Amino acid sequence: MNRRTFLKLSAFTGAAVGASQMTGALDTPAASPLSKATQNTDDEKWIATSCLICPARCAIRLRVVNGKAIKVTGNPSSRVSEGKICPRAHIGLQVLYDPDRIAFPLKRTTKEKGKGIDPKWVPMTWDQAFEEVTRYLRPLREKAQPHRLLLFSGLNTVSGEDAISRFAAAFGTPNLISGDGLDCEAEKSGHWMADGHYSNRAYDLDHTRYILAFGADILESGRPLTRFLRKWGKLRREEPNRTKVVVINPRYSVTAAKSDEWIPIQPGTDAALALGVAHVIISEKLYDQNFIHHWTEGFDSYKNWVLSQYSPKVVSEITGIPSEAIQRTAREFSQTRPAIALGGMGSINWPEGSTISHAIFCLNALVGSVDVPGGVIYQVHPKYRDMADGVQDEIARRGKIQPCLDFRGTDRFPAAKVVTNQIPESILEDVPYTVEMAIGFNSNFNMSAPGTQRWDEALKKLPYFVQISPFVSEMAQYADLVLPSTTFLEEWGYDHSPSESGYAEARIKQPVVSPRGHSRSTIDILFEWARRLGGGVAQSFADIGGDSKGFVQFRTAALMPWEEFLREGVWSGPQYEYKKYNHLFNTPSRKFEFTSGNLKSLLSKMKKKTGDLDCLPHYKESQFLGEREKYPLLLLPYQPLMHMENGSQNYPWAQEIFLPMQGMGWDNLAEINSETANALKLREGEEVWVESPFQRMKVKLKCSEGVHPEVVAVSIGQGHSAYGRWQKGMGVNPNEILGVDYDPVSGQSSFFNTRVRVYKA
Amino acid sequence: MPRWGMVIDLDKCTGCQACTVACKVENNVPHGSPEEQTSRREIYWNKVIAATRGRYPRVKTELIPMPCMHCDNAPCVTVCPAIATYRRADGIIMQNFRRCIGCKYCMVACPYGVRSFNFKEQESKEYQRQDRPPDRTVWGPWPFPTRTHGVVEKCTFCFHLIDQGIKEGKRIGEEVVPACVEACPANARFFGDLDDTRSQVSRLLSSRGSIRLREELVTKPKVYYLLQ
Repeated sequence: MNRRTFLKLSAFTGAAVGASQMTGALDTPAASPLSKATQNTDDEKWIATSCLICPARCAIRLRVVNGKAIKVTGNPSSRVSEGKICPRAHIGLQVLYDPDRIAFPLKRTTKEKGKGIDPKWVPMTWDQAFEEVTRYLRPLREKAQPHRLLLFSGLNTVSGEDAISRFAAAFGTPNLISGDGLDCEAEKSGHWMADGHYSNRAYDLDHTRYILAFGADILESGRPLTRFLRKWGKLRREEPNRTKVVVINPRYSVTAAKSDEWIPIQPGTDAALALGVAHVIISEKLYDQNFIHHWTEGFDSYKNWVLSQYSPKVVSEITGIPSEAIQRTAREFSQTRPAIALGGMGSINWPEGSTISHAIFCLNALVGSVDVPGGVIYQVHPKYRDMADGVQDEIARRGKIQPCLDFRGTDRFPAAKVVTNQIPESILEDVPYTVEMAIGFNSNFNMSAPGTQRWDEALKKLPYFVQISPFVSEMAQYADLVLPSTTFLEEWGYDHSPSESGYAEARIKQPVVSPRGHSRSTIDILFEWARRLGGGVAQSFADIGGDSKGFVQFRTAALMPWEEFLREGVWSGPQYEYKKYNHLFNTPSRKFEFTSGNLKSLLSKMKKKTGDLDCLPHYKESQFLGEREKYPLLLLPYQPLMHMENGSQNYPWAQEIFLPMQGMGWDNLAEINSETANALKLREGEEVWVESPFQRMKVKLKCSEGVHPEVVAVSIGQGHSAYGRWQKGMGVNPNEILGVDYDPVSGQSSFFNTRVRVYKA
Repeated sequence: MPRWGMVIDLDKCTGCQACTVACKVENNVPHGSPEEQTSRREIYWNKVIAATRGRYPRVKTELIPMPCMHCDNAPCVTVCPAIATYRRADGIIMQNFRRCIGCKYCMVACPYGVRSFNFKEQESKEYQRQDRPPDRTVWGPWPFPTRTHGVVEKCTFCFHLIDQGIKEGKRIGEEVVPACVEACPANARFFGDLDDTRSQVSRLLSSRGSIRLREELVTKPKVYYLLQ
């Protein structure tokens, strides 16, 4: 941008300026500060804790005056976020003081369940609530059928997750379902295919010089977001060499707007582009020969495969990107080292997600960016103090070995660790067995999973459902009992992020204010259940601290002295160790694998036929839901930064600036290319139906220059129907009209392969 | 006397809007509602605006954070008939709610659209904001625990933090900065004395080309933008 265009952009309605100015006319401030005894510093406290609005769980500090939390800042002790926080963390205040939170355990009195049906909540005491839940839990164990208990886990602290999985193990159910199966798993399994680690990778943003982001909106939905935002400033202007960022995405996101180059791509063809880039790098011998030679396996077959199939010309036809752009990007990427290729939800949440993730990840190996400064690194997690193995009595042991409701690890989803979106079918069809009771821990899957009405039906069918949540979320709407849990500013916990900066960092959660209403923390609820259930469950929870505070104290004792941890809020591990190639790769060859030996052996164990192709990075045209003739466009849900990931959006500060690129909030839009809108004779601002083969939704149209012509982009985060004066009935939820599809390897839901048509409402 | 100014590096800016939220938190700026947004009656002291040009696929959107520009030659000050908006000796343009008669002349005069009129109905002279503690004594040095219906509001460069910082002998621009500068995760915003050549803002301005918005109007804004 040059000066002239900038001035043009900033042209607002003008007015001439008079010559005379009142300068320093009045020296008294508009009102004098409230000075008299209003700032009683004795009452002011700064408390170190950590955020929980997304899984990054950054370290924060709260300014608390007279028992009221009034300001959130970053914690300078955290090297991960360098004392900074993202905008969402500020909104923690509104999460805490949300006027629509619930204060008491609520019991449902209407039998019928469904959207818009008033459950007629009746408050009850905690003692009654505990009694009722144990009345349902106990028979499951007495009948030796603990596996018929289903647990949903949404966004919880790491300590909460630890307590929940301990409860599941002690009770004897294998059915602990997290939300990871919606948006994390294919990326992980793609990495696992190459290096044997089934986890999210971290990126060494301190030293990288080039970022090639495939569908990754790192400034909006990147994790950990604060680190990406902080390092963005550093990468651009705080180092002698400015890092170049290239964003590949069918949609012009904030990240694309802020990057150096935006390359719009035909949706679902990122794997082809990655292989096209590889073709250029290999044919021009720009790859890191040393790393390839010593630490990779299967390069020759990969090389032959790529060279024979993915010339820039072929890839250009698939992706719609000019072959010069592919060549230029490939050369820049391989010559500006260290460089990172990172895949995000936009490129990976497709039916072939694992393969796409593998194809993108292999680019890092080509340029030697694996476990080096400025490359892809391997997150180390804090080592909390070991809990003694939980007591698993005979009932629990038998329950645990039952097949899991989500078919993980079967020939349907061979590599899967969790298949979240399979649960509704399992409940509705009673396979492999009937669910008798379910408990949700801050989960809201009937908002966040594709095909939401299946979830509604399944939740309706559950004989008994308890939801633990600070508010009556969409999922709680179907509960028989809602237990008010504390928000992250009112509870004890320890936390770390699934991936951040390589070295380990643990953060404390401590109550900055006393819990509002009669809410209780999830961990305390579990301790109480364990006590009341007795037997093996009670024994498993006997020597690990007694309550949430004791539990955190017990588990973090191995890290640092308690008082210091309370004060600092952060424990940092040793510096990151690079180039651990000797023992890094968890693959059959103990090397980085272009041809995945892990997948091959897994598939042969499942007695599945494997072609050579299956284990090599390849591009396969995506299976779309809906015929092209009838549904010419593709629905592309996206996550804006102001989408809160705790299951609620009832926060005015987030709502009013929800879509910065559109300059609006409180709503979302169907964004389509202006040419496409012209062809469909649709005008900006009018209401349209967006219809998939499954459902349709009415939404306002936005003509945009930043959307691929074959795409309808709709943000997620709106369309709440259950509660909240600042969210209920605003906007639409694109997940409602999505079809259901999976990545066959990891079982992750695909979000982007549903076709739609758009017409005037 | 210092002359306070702000530098915003658009190359580092991530368009995350942390400044907008932090400003609302610090200054108790009322949040809006869907109705207020439709009728353009929301109040922002620092909004991030998007300006787009070009056609697909050669499109470019600039995300520009817009605080008050605190012009040296401020049209709002010139036109105000009530001397409600005025410039302090340190260059901060202030708004005196008690003098403001709500004529909105300043809003018409401002070429940057950074002034908001408070249309909010007042209940018990205070907004019913659940997210803020009702005990107004805890709000620190902020002078407006209650807000006034029917006056014009705007960014003050967090003058209350600066005045307090000076009283405590702190280094303004380093130890004490406005809330938006403190909150910026990318460190894209800087605050300091434009007349002091050693200040960070002066050094930044001499290191790279910068622009101010609508310079041709000779308003002499004290908010500078560094370009990509």
